[in-house]
Amino acid sequence: MHIPDAFIPLPQAAVYWIIALIFIALSLRWARKELSDEKIPLVAILAAGIFAIQAVNIPIPWGTSGHMMGAALAAIVLGSPFAAVFILTLVLIVQGVLFGDGGLTVMGANIINMGVIGGFFGYYSYRGFYPIFKSPYAPAFIAGWLSLFIAALACAVEMAMAGTFPLGLGLFSMGLYHAVIGIIEGGITAFAIYLIATARPDIMADSTGVPT
Amino acid sequence: MIEDLFFLEKQTYKKSPVHSLDARVKIIIAFAAIIAIVAVPYSTVIYTVGAVFFLFFALLWAASGLSPLVYFKRLVVILPFGIFLIVFQIFFKNPYYENFTTIATLPFGIEIYAESVQFATILLVKFLVSVSFIILLSSTTRTQDMLEGAGRLGLPAEFTLTLGMMLRYLYVFGYMIRKMTQSLETRCFNPFDRALPYRYRLEKVAYAVGTLFIRSYEQGERTYMAMLCRGYGRESHLYIAKKPLERKDWVFLTAGMALVIVTPVLAWTRFPVIL
Repeated sequence: MHIPDAFIPLPQAAVYWIIALIFIALSLRWARKELSDEKIPLVAILAAGIFAIQAVNIPIPWGTSGHMMGAALAAIVLGSPFAAVFILTLVLIVQGVLFGDGGLTVMGANIINMGVIGGFFGYYSYRGFYPIFKSPYAPAFIAGWLSLFIAALACAVEMAMAGTFPLGLGLFSMGLYHAVIGIIEGGITAFAIYLIATARPDIMADSTGVPT
Repeated sequence: MIEDLFFLEKQTYKKSPVHSLDARVKIIIAFAAIIAIVAVPYSTVIYTVGAVFFLFFALLWAASGLSPLVYFKRLVVILPFGIFLIVFQIFFKNPYYENFTTIATLPFGIEIYAESVQFATILLVKFLVSVSFIILLSSTTRTQDMLEGAGRLGLPAEFTLTLGMMLRYLYVFGYMIRKMTQSLETRCFNPFDRALPYRYRLEKVAYAVGTLFIRSYEQGERTYMAMLCRGYGRESHLYIAKKPLERKDWVFLTAGMALVIVTPVLAWTRFPVIL
């Protein structure tokens, strides 16, 4: 889902960068306020962890492999969508500059898709569905699925606006592919939340895994 | 991608005129080249610009003394999504052209258009050039130098500190992943083994992911405590010493920037082959 350079013309890419920068500034403010200021190094190391998580090969039912995004996981555990924005921004900078995975000019768009959309949809769908299911696992699954699916749709819309991929087919192919991958993202998010809530309940934003 | 990290680090520790250039110069040239190639509108002018830029890249790569295999090995990892998008272009009518000529008709009424093939080629040139410059930058510059270079170029202190910490721990987690994979392998667990139920495999992989999360969080806690003990606080930042650019850096920067700016401008004004 990492859009490469040249697939979004420069003026549009600049607009995405500006929007992304606003969210990055907001997430920095979140880090200063909510993490009692100096805890930023902790989040930086966690970002390295999310990078490693994204590198884990995940089996997809028909034999190929995929990768996780981890935005919903980070947002749920740390209890804020801005955690995902902050972490995914760091991850995308490293992926873009060191590995060429996702372009530089379009990094703004990638941060919006994976960090902002992934984080906000992941976190708020988890919060929204929690009262319905009364357990953290089904909402975590939905959060993981939605964070990936909506981010993929946003990616298709951006490419359609850039004129580099037709809207209908983009929405269909990106949507279908990520709807399937999303099941795995959701499943892993739910299992991982279970593990974290059992092994280290204190690091969940709320100790019981229940959103406050 | 974690294994690529170690591979990449080996390349950056080699010695060559390109490796020894100041990181700032390399960052500026690579970013400028990418912005320039993206800024050229979608038109056939890109062939000339792309050829000149690629030649520039190839010269630098040759000067860096790295094997072309290193380049191709890294390129193969990056290409898939971009190539997928480019290959499918040939079947679409895109908004950058008005008339489309069919050059081939496939079953199910799928048509290939000459203009779309041209558009796909344009995208391919832009994509390859921008990816090549990133590969050059990251294969010849150590991550620490790149970070300090970015700091000297004005990247805010919040980012140099956090990115610096992140980069250092990437290697730690790289080894951690390697160990976890190896211990799963010694127990004959293969996540792609179809003989095992899918849910079981997913669960095990998910536990590995959850463990990585917890271990990185705990590493963060330990490091944070250790930093506090050493006087870390609100005003802490990565110390970056001032370092003036040497003469060879200035020469390369001026020549490189001139090439990156002049080529597209000349190509655009001298042959206005607008679609």
